[in-house]
This record gives sequence, C-alpha cells and structure tokens, in this order.
Amino acid sequence: MTTEAASTTPERSSRPFRLAFDGGVLGPLVGLVLLCVGFSFASEYFLSVRNAINILDQVTVLGILAIGMTLVIIIGGIDLSVGSVLAFSMMMMGWLYQFGGVPLPIAMVLGILTGAACGLVSGCLITFAKLPAFIATLAIMSIARGLANILTDGRQVVGYPDWFTNLATVRHFGFLSVTVALFIVLMVIAGIFLRYRATGRNLFAIGGSAEVARLAGIDVRKYTLVTYTIAGALAGVAAVTLAARLNSSQPSAGLGIELDTIAAVVIGGASLVGGVGSIAGTLIGVLIIGVLRNGLNLVGVSPFFQMVVIGAVIALAVAFDTMSRNKN
Amino acid sequence: MLKSTRIAFAGAVMAGTMAIGAAQAQDDLTVGLAVANLQADFFNQIKQSVEKEGDKLGVEIITVDAGGDSARQVSQIQDLITRDVDAIIYIPAGATAASVPVKAAREAGIPVVAVDRNPPDAPGDTFIATDSVAAAETLGNWVCKQTGGKGRLAEIQGQIGTTPQIDRDEGFDKALANCAGIERVAQQASNMWMQDEGFNIAQAMIQRDPGITVFWGQADALALGAAQAAKVGNLGDVIVVGFDGDVAGLEAVKSGTLDATMTQQTQLMGRMALASAIKLANGEEVPAEQLQEATLTTADNVEPFLKEHP
Repeated sequence: MTTEAASTTPERSSRPFRLAFDGGVLGPLVGLVLLCVGFSFASEYFLSVRNAINILDQVTVLGILAIGMTLVIIIGGIDLSVGSVLAFSMMMMGWLYQFGGVPLPIAMVLGILTGAACGLVSGCLITFAKLPAFIATLAIMSIARGLANILTDGRQVVGYPDWFTNLATVRHFGFLSVTVALFIVLMVIAGIFLRYRATGRNLFAIGGSAEVARLAGIDVRKYTLVTYTIAGALAGVAAVTLAARLNSSQPSAGLGIELDTIAAVVIGGASLVGGVGSIAGTLIGVLIIGVLRNGLNLVGVSPFFQMVVIGAVIALAVAFDTMSRNKN
Repeated sequence: MLKSTRIAFAGAVMAGTMAIGAAQAQDDLTVGLAVANLQADFFNQIKQSVEKEGDKLGVEIITVDAGGDSARQVSQIQDLITRDVDAIIYIPAGATAASVPVKAAREAGIPVVAVDRNPPDAPGDTFIATDSVAAAETLGNWVCKQTGGKGRLAEIQGQIGTTPQIDRDEGFDKALANCAGIERVAQQASNMWMQDEGFNIAQAMIQRDPGITVFWGQADALALGAAQAAKVGNLGDVIVVGFDGDVAGLEAVKSGTLDATMTQQTQLMGRMALASAIKLANGEEVPAEQLQEATLTTADNVEPFLKEHP
C-alpha cells in the first residue's frame, strides 16, 4: 500500500516555496512507515499480506469519503454531512430495493445519485444562500440523518442478494475484492485529476483565494457546486460499499465518520484554510488511521487506551507536519 | 532542523508501539472479546466480568470496542481473526448486520459465543442472554399490579430491530394484554439506549400528554432519563421502570428514582461466556442457547445486588 502512495506523485501546491519532491506527503509517509515498523515488532500478526489486505478492506469506506473531503478542503470548504449522507444514500438504496421493487443495480445508482443530490443542496446553500460551509453542511448532516431514519422508521434493511455482499467479501485473485479495487481506482482517478487537469488545479486556486480565482476568470460558484456534488456522490459510493460490507443498510451507519474523514485528510497534509492538500497525502492519512486501529487491535491494547493513542497520534502527526512546514 | 523533528516523531511513535508490544502477554489460550459499546454500563459489566475471569483462569483476553458502530465491529473481528484468537465472544453492535462477523469467524474456523444478541441468519455456536421476553412480562405484570391495573403508559424503546428491543416489547405487550386498564399513550424508540435520549424523548412525551402515569424505559439509562424528565416536568406521582439492573439503575432503585428494574446477571453471563468460549476452543459441545433469568428488583431487594452484582 505504501508503493501505491509513492506512485501517485505528491500534489503541487499553490505555495511556490515547497520542495517539489516533498509536497507535504513525506512527513505523513515517514509516520506511516514508522507505525508499520513499530507494529511489526509489537505483533507477530501484523506484517502479512493478508493483514495488509484487511487494512485496505477496512479503510475502503473512509478512503472513498476522504477523496471527496480532500476536494472540499482544497477549495477551502468543509463537509460535515458525509456520514449522514452516507446513511441516507444507503437507506435510499435499501428502501428502493426492498420496498420499491427496484432492481438492485438501479437502486445502487439511485443511492449514489441521492448522495449527489445532497451534495448539490449543500453547494447551493453555500453559493446562493451564502451560508458558511460549516453551517450549510451541518444542516444537511441533520436533515440527511433524519431522512435516513424516516425512510424505514429507523429500521434496518436486510436481505441483499449474495452477489452484492460478494462485492466486498470475495477476494479475486486471492487479494482484491471489488470494493477495494473500486477504492484504488477512485484514488488514482482523483490523483490524476487534481495533479494534471487544469480544472483540478483551479480548485487549489479557489482555496488559495476565491476572490483572486474569480478575477482570474474561474467560475468559483460552478466549481463549488460541482465539488460538493462530487463529495456527496462519493458518500453515495461509500454507502454502497458499506452496505455490501455489512450485508445490510442501517440508518445509524457512518455516525461520526465525518470527523475521521477530516482527520485523515488533515493528517495527509491538507490545510483546513484551503489551497493545500493532495490525494497521495490523504491516502497516507487514511492508512495511518487504518493501521493504527488494526495494529492496536492486533497487539491487544484496551479500547479505552486506544482512543488516547489515536488522539495523540493525530495531534503528533499534524503538529510535526506543521512544524516542519514552518521551518521550511 | 526538519530532519531532526521527523526523527523525533519517528522515535516517539516507535517507542510508543514497542512499549505496547512489551506489555503483551503470551498465554496458551487467547479469547477475543468484541463489545458493542463500552459506553453502555451493561456491556461494560460483561466486559469486566470476562476480563476478571480471564485473569483468574490465565486466559488472555483481547477486548475491542465498536462504540455502537457495526462497520467498525466488522473490522475489529477481522483483526481478532488475524490475531488468531482461539474463540471470539461477540456482543453485536447494531441490529441485524451482525451476521457478517460470525460468517467470517466461521470461515476461519474460530468458534463464536454470541452474547445479548444473536444474528438470526448466522447464529453463534452458543448464545448467552437474558430471557428478555419472560423478564419483560414479569415487569409488565408488576406494573399492572402496582398501578391497580389503571394508568397511562409511555414507553421508550431501545434501538429498533435489536433482539433486546423486540423481545422486551413482546414480553411487556403480553403482560399488557392481561391488563386492559393500562393505556399506551406514547411509544418512541431511541438510537443508542442512552440516558440523554431517554430524557429528551420523555420530555417531549410529557409535553404532549402531561397525564402520563407510567414510564417504561427498555434500559435503565432510558428510564433514568425519563425519571429526570418527569421530575423536571413536575409530574409528581409517576411509576418509572427500567431494565438491565446496571449499577446506576440499581442505585436509582435504592433511592426511589426508579420504582423497579429487571436485573440481568451480567457477571454470570461474562463468566459463562468465557467458560463456553474455552469449551468451544477445546472442541467440546456447548448448548446452542443458554438463556438466563432476570430478577425483578425493587427497593425491597436491591441491597444485595448493589453489594455484589449477580
């Protein structure tokens, strides 16, 4: 997984003084490698291909959400609604399939579109109603969670066909489930888009300064709408993968996952002020969170102590990153 | 400078993980304990019982806490399987999604002891829980007797679709069927079985119907929330009953905040869970269901439970 991180080359940031080969991902990458080395010593079960695949499997949902969050944070926004939108998309898919008689593949697409619609509404609230992103997505977070519960009166949806669960459980060629493959493909596409496409680079310009971007001829409103819509759609994709993983749809799914997502993106070197961030960094951030949870479980650390360790590592990782940046 | 901060970070992380590693014991038998949510005292009691018993028997217990999130629990069970534990004690988080971890463990040849909730489509090798239907019926009958068969009942359910919620509904409804004078005027579910939810739900219920005379919370925390809401709302003479008999609930029964609860034998269930896990790991037979009784607890008989939880 670390080779994957290295192959998607670090993002060029809007700040000209940053070292080209570094781009902000080296710090988190070193942290990730050290964590892996530490856990390899601490637990004989950590260092194995099977466990590496487990970790990838475990971070798939978080990772897909984090792609959208990276885009949003790069334009200087924030999306608190992803967890609720995930739940709403998931319930919409389950409800359409189970009670609406919609064939599952179509229900999956409609679930993803539900997420996109939520994102679009957030985007409209931000661009047209001029709400701060924090408030707009906070409102959508509450609305989407409510709708997710209303659809089935808080009940779960079960009874998906086997082929659907197999998307998450059957490992093709011995290692790659469809959902993990999807996660990797989405990461690569997003990485290429951000680095090599002009539209991708415009996002950094908007995050650097929306006013300057507008004067430079970038349609900031359109970009904002599209970015939040994509983040919503990705929450929908994450919902489908999570439903496959759990073999059910639950209105309580993704409770609080927006905070994990934001943490992963920030650990990966993005700045909440906007204009800085990269997919490679986010991938590393996601893996740091995944490796930590997995490793602490394998070593057998008490769950209460785990919370302390995870919080400390997040603070440490970002603190060291910020310090090294300032010295730069 | 840049380099030195990174090396410092490196050192800190390494030292941290190594220290954790050194603390790891190497016993013959290792049992994984996957808890639904340690913030709920009921689960925490079972966890403490399993860990205490593990210490006594020299079995290493690896505890993971899903925090009520079934997705996280799937990951944690995966980790326990990777960790190559000999058996898994499994308290499912969420409701019906619970079958995925059992299937995964079964595929890896690891026996599963399901506690409190049992996945219907992939049940554990054994299932340990309170007979919630019978217990809730006992409680319902007590309420009927206590009120003289008349009253306006408000019910705060647990998380919809979970085994305890379904069973407690069923048992209590059975009792109500023989108690026509009690009218159910409000019924609402909670998401997390938590006290603040109970408070908020009950407050809204009182707002709609100040004539409520009985609150039935399907967990002590929910009932405690309802009792507080009744107090804040100056409801005066209401009967509040809960379920679980966790420490806070028992204290409340003693002080009169709650009128009754059904005490589940958490310590016994923890010990049984570990005993069953050890048996299954050694290839011995264990019955598919081991249902326990719960004790109707009022101010009259709460004292011994407070001293030593059953």
